[in-house]
Amino acid sequence: MDTLFNSAKTNPRGIPEAPFVEKVEQYVKSPEDFDMCFSKFQEHLSKYKYMQESKLANIKQLKSKIPDIENTLNMCALLKQKRETEVDEDDEEEDDSLLINYQLNETLFSKASVNPKDPELKVGLWLGADVMLEYPLDEAIELLAQKLADAKQNLDISQQDVEFLRENITTMEVNCARLYNWDVQRRQQMKKEGSSG
Amino acid sequence: MELLPEGQKNTVTVAYEDQQRINEFSKLIMRKDAIEQDLTQQRTEKEYLDDVSLEIELIDEDEKVQYKIGDVFVFLKQKEVVEKLESDAENIDSNIEKLESDEAELDSRIKELKSILYAKFGDNINLER
Repeated sequence: MDTLFNSAKTNPRGIPEAPFVEKVEQYVKSPEDFDMCFSKFQEHLSKYKYMQESKLANIKQLKSKIPDIENTLNMCALLKQKRETEVDEDDEEEDDSLLINYQLNETLFSKASVNPKDPELKVGLWLGADVMLEYPLDEAIELLAQKLADAKQNLDISQQDVEFLRENITTMEVNCARLYNWDVQRRQQMKKEGSSG
Repeated sequence: MELLPEGQKNTVTVAYEDQQRINEFSKLIMRKDAIEQDLTQQRTEKEYLDDVSLEIELIDEDEKVQYKIGDVFVFLKQKEVVEKLESDAENIDSNIEKLESDEAELDSRIKELKSILYAKFGDNINLER
């Protein structure tokens, strides 16, 4: 019985493919086995559903992470652009620094002045685990671009997994429904035979 | 959900290929939902951009406006912001275009699957929402 779910077919992440029940009799050898068999199928179905939930949570997390990375990347790109463009000669009042209105606290905004032309300019990137590391601008952009590509790839993989799981959940749901119907028919048959005989 | 009428039997057997089609159908429906969600989001974003592009024309070219990047507002000249807004709008337009063409592709495949499955199972299957 257990071998039934050890399908040789898996997706690239090793999620096994659900078996397809063509004839119920292949799985339920004797009527006594039915309950056991049916509960095995249901257990397996809930495993798939649980896996899908966790993958969906994963996707949600990535989907909020990607815009964050994009924003950080945009900011770095702006700093880089500002550093590389010459200030207009005829613009006397203009100075090099960039004025930024930033959120200091939930209810408080403050202004900061950043000089993009400062040769010492570094940006701090949160690496996670409460660690922030300073990077020169170009390195930061490189790192962020890499992170963005990774996150997008992960998102893609997770989405493929969810689709694969969804397919298998559908298979299992159909399987369960057919097992159940098979049992109902069998009982009706038995009742008929019992009353006529 | 409806029970079969008494005495009537569901005689159509689900073959492996049918199961594959049902699976594909359910997968595509899920994909379509995700695309629709994305599309609504992108379209609202596009509306905001359109509005702000109109408004910003009222401001003098050299005046500074606050352009939002992530969590902070950067003071930039109006003409710079206009440029940024234009490139943002271009990005969104291409996103929307891609999503729309994906959705159209999905729709035609879904329709195909529907007609195959309905032809085989008739009233025994329900593929509507």
